[in-house]
Amino acid sequence: MTKHILYIGLLLPSILFGQLDRSILPVAGKAPVINIKDSEVFTTENGITVILSENHNLPKVSFRLVTDSSPMVEGQKAGLSSIAGELIMSGTTNRSKDQLDNEKDYIGASLNADNQTISLSCLTKHLDKGLALMSDVMMNANFPVSEFDRVKNQNIDNLLAAKSDPGSMASNAESKANFSKGHPYGEVMTETTLNNITLDDVKNYYSKTYTPDGSYLVIVGDISIEQAKSMVSKYFANWKGGKVYKQELVDANFHKGNRVIFVKKQGAVQSVVHVSFPLKMKPGEANQLPLNVLNGILGGGGFGTRFMANLREDKAFTYGCYSSVNINEDGSWFSAAGNFRNDVTDSAITEILFELDTIANGYVKDDELNLTKMAMAGSFARSLENPQTVARFALNIIKNKLNKDYYQTYLKRLELITKEDVLTMAQTYFTAKNCNIIVVGNEEVLAKIKKFDSDGIIELLDAYGEEVKEMKPATISKDVLIEKYILAVTQSTTTKAALKKIAKIKSTEEVAELTMAQIPFPLKSTKVWASPSTEGEKVEGQGMVFQRSYFDGKTGATNSMQFGKKEFTSEEIVAKNNSLGIIPEVNYSKSTMKYELLGIENMNGKDFYVLKTNDGLKEAFTYFDVTTFLKVKSVEIKKEGDQIVESTNTFDDFKDVNGILFPQTFTLAAGENVFTGKVLSTIINGKPDFKPYM
Amino acid sequence: MNKLFITAFLSATTLSSFSQKKIEYVEYDLPNGIHVILHEEHATPIVAVSILYHVGSKNEKADRTGFAHFFEHLLFEGSENIKRGEYSALVEKNGGALNANTSNDRTYYYEVLPSNQLELGLWLESERLLHAKVETTGIETQRSVVKEEKRQRVDNQPYATFIGEIFKRMFIVHPYNWQPIGSMEHLDAAVEKDYIDFYRTFYVPANSTLSIAGDINIEQTKKWISKYFSTIPKGQAINLFRDFETLSNEAFLSKYAVDKSKFDSKDFMNSKDPIAKKLIAAESAKPTTIPRPEKPTEKTDGVTKDIIYDNIQLPALFMAYRLPAETSKDFPALEMLSEILSGGSSSRMNKVIVEKKQMAMQVFTFAYGLEDAGLGIFGAIGSNDVNLDTLQIELDTQIDLIKKELISQEEFEKIRNQFENQIVTSNSSIEGICENLANNYVYFGNANRVNNLLESYMKVTREDIQRVAVQYLTQDARVILHYLPKKTN
Repeated sequence: MTKHILYIGLLLPSILFGQLDRSILPVAGKAPVINIKDSEVFTTENGITVILSENHNLPKVSFRLVTDSSPMVEGQKAGLSSIAGELIMSGTTNRSKDQLDNEKDYIGASLNADNQTISLSCLTKHLDKGLALMSDVMMNANFPVSEFDRVKNQNIDNLLAAKSDPGSMASNAESKANFSKGHPYGEVMTETTLNNITLDDVKNYYSKTYTPDGSYLVIVGDISIEQAKSMVSKYFANWKGGKVYKQELVDANFHKGNRVIFVKKQGAVQSVVHVSFPLKMKPGEANQLPLNVLNGILGGGGFGTRFMANLREDKAFTYGCYSSVNINEDGSWFSAAGNFRNDVTDSAITEILFELDTIANGYVKDDELNLTKMAMAGSFARSLENPQTVARFALNIIKNKLNKDYYQTYLKRLELITKEDVLTMAQTYFTAKNCNIIVVGNEEVLAKIKKFDSDGIIELLDAYGEEVKEMKPATISKDVLIEKYILAVTQSTTTKAALKKIAKIKSTEEVAELTMAQIPFPLKSTKVWASPSTEGEKVEGQGMVFQRSYFDGKTGATNSMQFGKKEFTSEEIVAKNNSLGIIPEVNYSKSTMKYELLGIENMNGKDFYVLKTNDGLKEAFTYFDVTTFLKVKSVEIKKEGDQIVESTNTFDDFKDVNGILFPQTFTLAAGENVFTGKVLSTIINGKPDFKPYM
Repeated sequence: MNKLFITAFLSATTLSSFSQKKIEYVEYDLPNGIHVILHEEHATPIVAVSILYHVGSKNEKADRTGFAHFFEHLLFEGSENIKRGEYSALVEKNGGALNANTSNDRTYYYEVLPSNQLELGLWLESERLLHAKVETTGIETQRSVVKEEKRQRVDNQPYATFIGEIFKRMFIVHPYNWQPIGSMEHLDAAVEKDYIDFYRTFYVPANSTLSIAGDINIEQTKKWISKYFSTIPKGQAINLFRDFETLSNEAFLSKYAVDKSKFDSKDFMNSKDPIAKKLIAAESAKPTTIPRPEKPTEKTDGVTKDIIYDNIQLPALFMAYRLPAETSKDFPALEMLSEILSGGSSSRMNKVIVEKKQMAMQVFTFAYGLEDAGLGIFGAIGSNDVNLDTLQIELDTQIDLIKKELISQEEFEKIRNQFENQIVTSNSSIEGICENLANNYVYFGNANRVNNLLESYMKVTREDIQRVAVQYLTQDARVILHYLPKKTN
């Protein structure tokens, strides 16, 4: 009997389902209800907003403190925030780094910090001990000099290592292309900027940005509200600090036309390609969700996107090609990225641009739209498995001032998005014409990607996104270059004739008009010189003299509205004497000026000799046209304390004045300030009055 | 006396308060040999569906390396009922995610779906097992995709070749000699018969473990499993069925001496014709034998030392020792040994070599556990001008210290706490639970090991750690690789 039943039991399935028609897709059951539990929110007297999301699935708790400071513009100290972040865990006034590491590892906890956050994750039973360490780090980090030196050294090696990692090379170039130098996102640490960072900078950074005011404490896991409150009052309530650091940031670098940016990686077998551009969008804007849908269709994940279907499944150019939209309070951008073997690098770029263009020129198919919406809904639901998600939602709502029900209504808002919405997003935000096309790879791909650049000039960057000055060797010597320059500027055929012409000029007085976008009125600049070595210079406007200087060959001073009078230092006097006269190059070989010809550099498709000089005070790189030998640009680099000041002059529109060519227009750029100059008059051999300059 | 008592008391309380969550599950075999593991948990309305095929790169022929991984790619191409490109779309448009991975020992496929789509997941996986369909265009495309994957993950990544370089020196005869990514020449050389043979040999019910975890109802799930998986023919009948679907009548006839028309195309396994019935029964009775390599007997004798030039900026040192298989009772002690040396910022190698002496940017060690053998791997990315021989002396010194001196009680407690934390965390997602159950069943013959895992580490003593260091980390039998920057012209 028993045997008989068992027999039927075994057979039953195949009888019941034997005629299974496998071609029929199973029907989904009733959609499960998605619950987003509310988080508890409370604030402390010292200004911390605490968000608690209870989850008792595992006996673990995490505490994450996020400060609300703005990112800092670091300029010549790019990397400061990351170095400061690395050093926060390097010891406190109560514990050496070794003690801290040991105590943390002893309870099997993870405790990490960076420039904005400190996070602890540990088993519930070790929480008290873990929080004691976390709050000690938060309040009492003491930045020992030995650790500062070690971390700095390690970062020097890290920077070296980054030179062999094509992914970080591409990210560096992308950041620099999307954001200009004045924006923290556009700053990348280099060996030079790393060297400029001091321990005091780190301490300043920490005291400025690590403060309870405006910060958030996100607690997730196996803990009750009562326990959380008592832990917060025990470990966080007595933290004191100043007002949160806030700073307005400049816009991203929006530009017209496609730029091709190439970073050379020796021996690469694949190119890492990023096609990227900045976006005008803040977190929580109504357009963010439809833009995400658009990105999802294009390349936002999964195997069914346009990028994957085209570049992987159809053409087999890549293992994967994805796109992302990154929306942040401080700056937003789009990026499409993939790795492509060398010989299809250009074809892959063509296809990426094609997809960007196509999606902005017609409705997406209903299928695609539904697939992406369903995939996003699914991913939203799956993300709720991680207890951190709910807490993150609560944090976003508070931080970005979203509607309270922003996430509760997420799925409903997603469902309502139409193909018309998607097209509007593509036409509003996407472009195949104003992209930064970044390629990290083998030099052999270079020739084939030129065609993507609007002006046909590829920008060459190094591993950290710095411009590469690649030079060809010069075929003439430095003194021959100077001789040719003198002949050109004096329009002579022999050196003797040239020197004779120069000697005839006993004085000059040049008046120019300076304009600058930030200043509503033009400035007047006047420069005077009298043989052999008397000089004066002043800048004035609106009836005021902003700055003047005078030098008589032995002494002199500058006088500015801002800083008052300053006598020239002995180094400045030596430097001045190294470049005297209307054509200072004439005297280089007789002065203490150090100069060398570096080679020929290509700039915007034209070749220039680059002469490097050092007058004892500053280094300068001067560019001479290889065909006309005229001086068109000079870049001066000067150290002032621990600051490095770089200024660039360009010269154009040369005009014959008394037989000598003088530039009639010029620009002067220092940091964010750019002056455009136009010469109004030049008087040769007049009788200049130096009084107004003294 | 007093002190002893306290220590005993402390360790007793520690033991009782270990915090591992128990994973409840049911498991059973289907008549065709598929092993099923089900874990029910309703915290989130999602479900993970997975199949582990017990085939990895070690099951490949020496002239067809990379096949197991290549198959992983091909088996997303479709089936008799799923058109090319639809497999992933079906998952994604129903709110799911999917992926797969291949190791030296196994190939693992999974979907994570909203829980109301469980049946879809089962149908998809049963289609993949029963009659995956791969067209020539699919083969060509995936061949190129895999080549790109290798370029991206290995060739274009600094140091990324070190695992392969170690394995090929450690295993001369055993197929651990090559890596799952395999040889691109072999993939190019493959012909249709190679693909068919591989599928018919390894993608069969008796080689599959179906593991499901999440928001499910066990009884309902069993019914659906029965519907989609019990109908998959057992033994060699699965290949008979595949032939029936793919061969011309002529080819089928010449192979089996039975005309295809004798079979019921709608309900193949229940074909009424006696000749058909007889053939099905005969093929069903034929056992499936999965070819598996002999466990490696080769001993690593002597020291193999080589220099490898790579596109890197910083020099690096890699060393490897032969360890027993991951199922060995010594393996937990070896993993704990590795943790002492390089796990966490307070670990010995990090403190001494990276922080104090600043000879390396990063030091790592791991006990690489595989089914047939293990490797103890040491790696150090050197500081800019470091001499790799000097760096090696430092690593050796740390290993010698463990051999010579029992680790302190405090350090020992630290390691135990770290493992407790890791093991608790390892079951934090249903996808993780799903995979852990399958792995433990296949490699250890015991899915319940997920619940006893902590115990196997807590049993390890300080003496065990010292003993395994002496026994396995022998200086006169190892592979040493120096990675140096390629000289550029």
